[in-house]
Amino acid sequence: MKAFELIQPTSLDAALEALPGARDTKARDRVKILAGGQDLLGELKEHLIEPQTLVNLKSIPGLDQIEHRDDGSLRLGALVTLARIEEDRALRERFALLAEAAGAVASVQIRNAGTLGGNLCQRPRCWYYRHEQAVCIKKGGSECFAYGGLNKYNAILGGGPSYIVHPSDVAPALVALEAQAVIRGKRGERQVALEQFFTLPSEGSVLRENVLTSEEILTHVIVPAQSDAPWRSTYIKFRERGSYDFALSAVALRLSMDGDKVRDARLVLGGVAPIPWRCEKAEKAMVGRKLDAQTAEFVGKLALEGAEPLEHNAYKILLTQGLITKALRKLAN
Amino acid sequence: MSLDPRPLVLQEEQPPRPAAPGKKWVKSVRVQNGIDTEVWEEVDIDSGSDGPTWGAREDLRLLNHDLRRIDGPEKVTGRAVFTHDVRLPGMVYAQVLRCPHPWAKIVRIDLAPAQGTPGVLAAVVLEGEEVKWLGRPIVAVAADTPEHAEDGVRAVVVEYDVQRFAVTSEQSQAPDAPKIAGNRDNVRVHETDGELAAAEAALAECDAVVEGTWRVPVQHHACLETHGVVVDYRGGDSATVYASTQGTFTVNNDAARELDLKGAQVTAVVEHMGGGFGGKFGLGLEGDAACKLSKQLGRPVHLLFDRASEFLAAGNRAGGVHVLQAGAKKTGELHAFVARVERHGGVGPGSNQRQPYIYRPAVSYAQVKSVLTNTDSSRAMRAPGHPQMSFAMEGLMDDLAYAIGMDPLEFRVRNVPPDRRADYERQLRLCADLIGWNSHPHRTAPDRSEGELKVGIGFALATWGGGGRPECKVEVRLLPDGSVEVYSGTQDLGTGTRTYVAAIVAEEFGLDLAQVTPHIGRSTYGAANASGGSTTTASLAPAVKHAAWNARKQLFEHVSTLIGVKPENLRCVGGRIQDVNDPDSNWIGFKDACAAVGGKGISAQGEWQRNLASSGVGGAQAAKVRVDTLTGEIEVLHMVGVQDCGLVMNRMATRSQLNGGMIQALSYGLFEERVIDPDLGLVLNANFEDYKIAGCKEIGLVQAVLDDGDNRRGVIGMAEPAVVPGQSAIANAIMNACGARLREMPLTSDKLLMALRGAKRG
Ligand SMILES: Cc1cc2nc3c(=O)[nH]c(=O)nc-3n(C[C@H](O)[C@H](O)[C@H](O)COP(=O)(O)OP(=O)(O)OC[C@H]3O[C@@H](n4cnc5c(N)ncnc54)[C@H](O)[C@@H]3O)c2cc1C
Repeated sequence: MKAFELIQPTSLDAALEALPGARDTKARDRVKILAGGQDLLGELKEHLIEPQTLVNLKSIPGLDQIEHRDDGSLRLGALVTLARIEEDRALRERFALLAEAAGAVASVQIRNAGTLGGNLCQRPRCWYYRHEQAVCIKKGGSECFAYGGLNKYNAILGGGPSYIVHPSDVAPALVALEAQAVIRGKRGERQVALEQFFTLPSEGSVLRENVLTSEEILTHVIVPAQSDAPWRSTYIKFRERGSYDFALSAVALRLSMDGDKVRDARLVLGGVAPIPWRCEKAEKAMVGRKLDAQTAEFVGKLALEGAEPLEHNAYKILLTQGLITKALRKLAN
Repeated sequence: MSLDPRPLVLQEEQPPRPAAPGKKWVKSVRVQNGIDTEVWEEVDIDSGSDGPTWGAREDLRLLNHDLRRIDGPEKVTGRAVFTHDVRLPGMVYAQVLRCPHPWAKIVRIDLAPAQGTPGVLAAVVLEGEEVKWLGRPIVAVAADTPEHAEDGVRAVVVEYDVQRFAVTSEQSQAPDAPKIAGNRDNVRVHETDGELAAAEAALAECDAVVEGTWRVPVQHHACLETHGVVVDYRGGDSATVYASTQGTFTVNNDAARELDLKGAQVTAVVEHMGGGFGGKFGLGLEGDAACKLSKQLGRPVHLLFDRASEFLAAGNRAGGVHVLQAGAKKTGELHAFVARVERHGGVGPGSNQRQPYIYRPAVSYAQVKSVLTNTDSSRAMRAPGHPQMSFAMEGLMDDLAYAIGMDPLEFRVRNVPPDRRADYERQLRLCADLIGWNSHPHRTAPDRSEGELKVGIGFALATWGGGGRPECKVEVRLLPDGSVEVYSGTQDLGTGTRTYVAAIVAEEFGLDLAQVTPHIGRSTYGAANASGGSTTTASLAPAVKHAAWNARKQLFEHVSTLIGVKPENLRCVGGRIQDVNDPDSNWIGFKDACAAVGGKGISAQGEWQRNLASSGVGGAQAAKVRVDTLTGEIEVLHMVGVQDCGLVMNRMATRSQLNGGMIQALSYGLFEERVIDPDLGLVLNANFEDYKIAGCKEIGLVQAVLDDGDNRRGVIGMAEPAVVPGQSAIANAIMNACGARLREMPLTSDKLLMALRGAKRG
């Protein structure tokens, strides 16, 4: 990797100070935020980016707290590691979906170092994007090589002009839990529903995957208290290689129940679209139904409505429908 | 040598009973009641009194037992020094600029920007004309740190005239494809066996005919230690090359040429090495570069591949396409067979793939072609050609068996070569017992019923040579303090060579393993063959045994005079040397015996002994898988490997080879594949994230069984056949579980899912 200057701020303000202004488009590639480094260092080593300055968030105290608040909500600092999310007992009990998703990330080593903020802000894994020589649309080129290329791992939903899938496991879980992102910028703080945090390549800039500008830092994630009705949740991830792998497809499902009928549902897919893919139509259709095989089939169809597979990834439709069936069955028991 | 001649008495005219199998009676002299007496002695048939034998297996104390690796603690604590770990005073680090295009002419190379980069000390051009595969080294740069070397490499300016390329076999066979090897056609027919018309006529006589196209991807060796060397030449007339190599003696002569020295002036050192699998012979282009840089700078140069280079330029297992058609009779006879084989070896010929593999059709025809592409040449890789052939042939065997409603195990037994039937049948039946085939409900047809989780079982066979050659020279030294040292230039690839070298000598002297110190991996020691073709142990072990035996003979001559017992009546037992006839009173401690020899000690040489080695091994494997028809998940629950191995030196290490082979085959079958974008020509998965290899969660129960039903006495190499059949057994198990025949590796969930839904891909 290219040599860089490492800035170790001890406060958020000092960190923000080191970041370039949002309008300074040239500078945005010169300064990068460093958290656990599990993704960023890979980008540096592969020369996908060659920043002059890294701003290390880890030197800022206080961003690594898990707070279970009195109102039943959860406030997570951006520097909380994935391993802690996976292992925090109260969190596991109350937000099984989130703990399961964090536990499904990569390997133990990466979960020990990787942070929540880094996980949500990580860059795509598409092998064209990760190849220095393939100057694809995500890196300022004009073409998505995956579109007409080897696209087994790419998007079947929401693609175009880039067909990456969002690599995060934690993101679909948090979207299903209606989490909020807390963002600090030079001009103050804003709060965005995580669902709105991620952007499709056709909506925001194709060079980014979320709404953060270069002068902003994701500082916290707030997971609201879940409804009083009995509710359950699960995260089911399918990976080609169990030891460590990104999702070929994943299902984040959260349900609240009225007896044996669904009162309210959130269904979010991972690994199939450039953003965590919320299936609103399927969610609505679930309401009032039992969690049986028929519902599963019906929900599977609706959830994948509009899927446009590329040459090598039609299997993702079948796979995702299979996972939806498994998720519903798991929550029925 | 007789000390005091006394009359010889023959005890009995005839041997007391008929000789046991493999034994014969010979007359030998024993001292009985103080008198030299001729007695009948039962000895191994191939022994003869003029050379060593392994002796009866039941008499072995160390060999053929489980031995812990003597260098295990060093390795797990990180104290073992691999080539990567070598650090020398004044050492510099080199990195290589590799061609980023599948085919390019080089117009201009400008080293000046690299030479001006901080820390860079030297840069040399390795190729200035034309490059026909992506990854070939062009320039090497040396600098004070690895990071500076990388900066230097990136600063080099090369102007390429990029050529149209063919990276896939389809591109290479297109009518307007660029010719990769001058005027030669990209496709070359290697061999044609049998008559096509006869084979087709035979097909017409069959009760069932099946056909299919099997595709195998390019696999990488994926050694944990990447390729590379440290060349230490500081001028003068000697140099040392530390190398991660499968052949200590394959590097020093190459290096000598590059350094303008004589072969003997260059010492190659291979203390520990982290895997080779067939891809690490010779110095290579990068090793040459390290020599050039070291010569130029007069400093040691560390040049080891990074992981991406390991995928781009360190060779691979050739891919291939096997189009097979075959027919069987209801009786279970494999009657007719037609094969068209394509080997994909990049700019090379694509290793030894032909058909039919193992089984013997009555009538067969096979044509083998190789298709050149603009990719790194394949190299030898653990059982070159065999796993590819196996995948296609074994799949075909199951398809045929099911087509005639026969148990695939019985169909195999029926069609293996008659002279090997007994061995294969024994191995297959043991696999069947261990994996639960006999109680499996679907033995003559796949389970095509509905259902989410389904379990299936499959089988496959392996064959290999594994013999030894007269290429090793070994020295055993006994020092006055009782130390026993063994010297051989051989290399330990991680297979446990060091351990059995010590064990053979310890066995000979009745010592503990820890009392013998093996010295290996240095070209100043005795010559040894490179580790290829599973020939290391069958070549080396006999020479070690011979050297130990010679050393023991010399020692016995000394001891004989000391305790007044004839040398042939001495035995080494439990750290002492004793009179076989009077072990309690006539003995001397091993150490004392060595001390008595005096300062000159004993030094004995050993060479390969034909009677101590054998060749020809086979094995059978079975796999049990569970498939999830909702997701396409394939879980290998259980694998069994039964393998004949001749006389085993170290049972634990041998089982490890079998375990490792099965795991490598599982990984090959389920995950491994080099991915190249056909339009860009780029390798998309030159890293351990996207080039997937099995991890601990993918490996189910792996059961390695050494087949002791094989009564050959000699040592045979066995590591290669272990890797041959696993992926084929897995593919057959998938078929058995759910009726989906996957003919293209890797056997991934997407392919299974699409096959199950009968849907077309894309
Ligand atoms: C082999 C491998 C396998 C992996 N498998 C998975 C997987 O299965 N599932 C999965 O979800 N992920 C996976 N990851 C991705 C990733 O490394 C981890 O998810 C990890 O959480 C990243 O966190 P980090 O703190 O190390 O991020 P970093 O690498 O430090 O940062 C990642 C990116 O986010 C930015 N960033 C970090 N924190 C902030 C912040 N607070 N505000 C704004 N921007 C920020 C950085 O600038 C950088 O661009 C894998 C990574 C590897 C190398």
